[in-house]
Amino acid sequence: MIKHVHWIALLPLIASVVILLGSRDNTEKSRLPLLGVAVMGWCLLHSLLILAGVLSGRAEVPFYRTLPWFEFGGFEMTLGVLIDGTAAFMLVVVTLVSFLVQVYSLGYMHADPRFKRYFAYLSFFSASMLGLVISSNLMALFACWELVGVSSYLLIGFWFEGDAPAYAGKKAFITTKLGDLGFFVGLLLLFAYAQTFDLKMLPLHFQMGPGHMPAWVPTAVGVLLLCGAAGKSAQVPLFVWLPDAMEGPTPVSALIHAATMVAAGVYLVARTYFIYQAAPMALEAVAWVGLITAALAATMAVAAYDIKRVLAFSTVSQLGFMMLGLGVGGYTSGLFHLTTHGCFKALLFLCAGSVIHAVHTNDMRQMGGLSKKMPETFITMLIGAFAIAGFPFLSGWFSKEAILHDVYRFSPAMWCAALATAALTAFYMFRLVFLTFLGISRDHPRWEHAGESPPVMTVPLWILAALSIFAGLALEHNGIFAGAVCFGPAAAAEGAEAVAHAPNWLAWGAVGAFALGLAAAWRLYGTGDLSLASSLKRSLAGVFDILEDRYGFDRFFLALVRASDSLAAALYWFDSNIIDAIFVDGWALATRALAEVQRFFDDFFVDGAVDGVGALTRDGGLGLSRLMAGKVQEYLLFVALAVSLFATFIMTR
Amino acid sequence: MTLAHYLALSAALFLIGLFGALTRRNIIGILMGIELMFNAANINLAAFNRFLHPEGIVGSAVALFVIAVAAAEIVVGLALVLAIYRSQNTVYAEDISLLKG
Repeated sequence: MIKHVHWIALLPLIASVVILLGSRDNTEKSRLPLLGVAVMGWCLLHSLLILAGVLSGRAEVPFYRTLPWFEFGGFEMTLGVLIDGTAAFMLVVVTLVSFLVQVYSLGYMHADPRFKRYFAYLSFFSASMLGLVISSNLMALFACWELVGVSSYLLIGFWFEGDAPAYAGKKAFITTKLGDLGFFVGLLLLFAYAQTFDLKMLPLHFQMGPGHMPAWVPTAVGVLLLCGAAGKSAQVPLFVWLPDAMEGPTPVSALIHAATMVAAGVYLVARTYFIYQAAPMALEAVAWVGLITAALAATMAVAAYDIKRVLAFSTVSQLGFMMLGLGVGGYTSGLFHLTTHGCFKALLFLCAGSVIHAVHTNDMRQMGGLSKKMPETFITMLIGAFAIAGFPFLSGWFSKEAILHDVYRFSPAMWCAALATAALTAFYMFRLVFLTFLGISRDHPRWEHAGESPPVMTVPLWILAALSIFAGLALEHNGIFAGAVCFGPAAAAEGAEAVAHAPNWLAWGAVGAFALGLAAAWRLYGTGDLSLASSLKRSLAGVFDILEDRYGFDRFFLALVRASDSLAAALYWFDSNIIDAIFVDGWALATRALAEVQRFFDDFFVDGAVDGVGALTRDGGLGLSRLMAGKVQEYLLFVALAVSLFATFIMTR
Repeated sequence: MTLAHYLALSAALFLIGLFGALTRRNIIGILMGIELMFNAANINLAAFNRFLHPEGIVGSAVALFVIAVAAAEIVVGLALVLAIYRSQNTVYAEDISLLKG
């Protein structure tokens, strides 16, 4: 079963090509999108079987198989698959969310004029993402990484008729490219010292100790790869694209910008964890980036009114948590959070999509009281909110708890910050739920018009809700997840020991944070009376301005773009007015002057010589021809004179 | 009678012939002048043979050759004069300038 794992990435690719080119009918009437859904269903089954094999120990991990791709010098580039516990879980997360999102999209996108193309893009994205997950080679991983970026660009700008989606697509693409630049430089540096991109060979190079490569190399590579991860996973300071990416269709936001693609950065750090093991400074950088991102994004989520932006900031914040987990040495806890987050964040986004589908607006100020109109969406979203906020024994509680544990072991100060962020998470999530579903309706016509979504949309919600409830419990049970996803046996043993040594009251911290956040949200938004919230907002207007400004990150990047624009303009001016004037035009002028001198020489001396010889011959001939006057006696006279001259000359000598 | 007498005679004769050849308008006169110059040369040849190499006959033999060639030349020349007269209707040298450059 695991031997055919490459088909998980290849089949969606084939499906996307078939869907894109297979039929001229672009609308819902085309049956081809069902092919994409079917393929993704097969991929989900296949991934589940692989995961079962890995968990039961029937499949030998890591599973590694490569094909030669090309050679240069003495180096052979390979294409291949490398499946370990992490990849197996990631496969299930990606295929599961992809499958559910595709099913959901059948309902959500039903009236779209580019229905078929949408599914082709979705399949293309899935293919790239799954290729990224299974790739055994950092170069191939990078290629898939970029393909994922392309499909993200295509899907964010799917409704490209509007300016905002087109702008958001560009912004996402360019911002992530900024990080990818670091990623690529890191890859080159890695190759310069390790001479391989293979993920199975690379750890050996890093385990060989300090003599094998300069000490700064792992740190530099780690930080550069972190740049790439920060771009893709929307970490500070490159997170600015993610809130704007919400311009895309909501299922896309759920799939790409919540559950899967943005987790690719976390996955990359996990895949290259051996580098960070060799570079504690880089690992600490990961932790700080994660913590700062988690905290900043959580505060920004508090000030947002767009339902999808709240979720987007929440995603950024949770990705920060994952990075924080990885950065403090909690390989297992970070990836555990990735897995559970995939479930409940996809759920939250799909619920938000269901709401948007019903009321046709993203603005929470125009919602309210929707729980009566769409009870299924309300209940599933509430489950999602409880899960992400860390209600005990739901999936988010287990993973966040594990991360907080690891953070406490690393640094109690960071633990405090993380705990405050967790409280904020609970606050803004329940703020979202209360503003949307409770209280009175603030826009009555929309409320009247709203209704529950069709089953094709609610069934995926229920599946994801069930997973959000039970995934944590199931995976934590008997340490199933920790057994399959760990970084080396030593790390696992150390982790178990540390859990034993952690103080007992630690577990209550997360619950306390949850309760605090929930209580604050209820007091401000839950009762239907928003007067306290608005008066608080008025008295803290300065703070809110900063939050709505996103701490000026957007302005900073905009200024960066403007600065590079001006720099380009200045360079253009320099090029056209200085370089061109001096070197190009000046050179041309000098050449022309030289050419004039040469032309004069040519005309006057060379041609003059030629013409002169010609003229001399011609004029001489003309002159001499006068002598030939046709008078015989003249000729005779000349002869006689010549003879007498010669004779005189000879005789007087 | 010494060699110098002969040479003086020869030179006088040559100059008379040259003068005639240069000044006569009539082609036949020119030819006659040329004949005089031939004969001046012949006198030279015979005189040199007689005074410088009395035992040899080379000078006299060359003179004989010159007489023969002169006879042939005058034949060709007179034939040309006749032909020119028939076509151009003149025997004056200045009227005949077909080869003028």
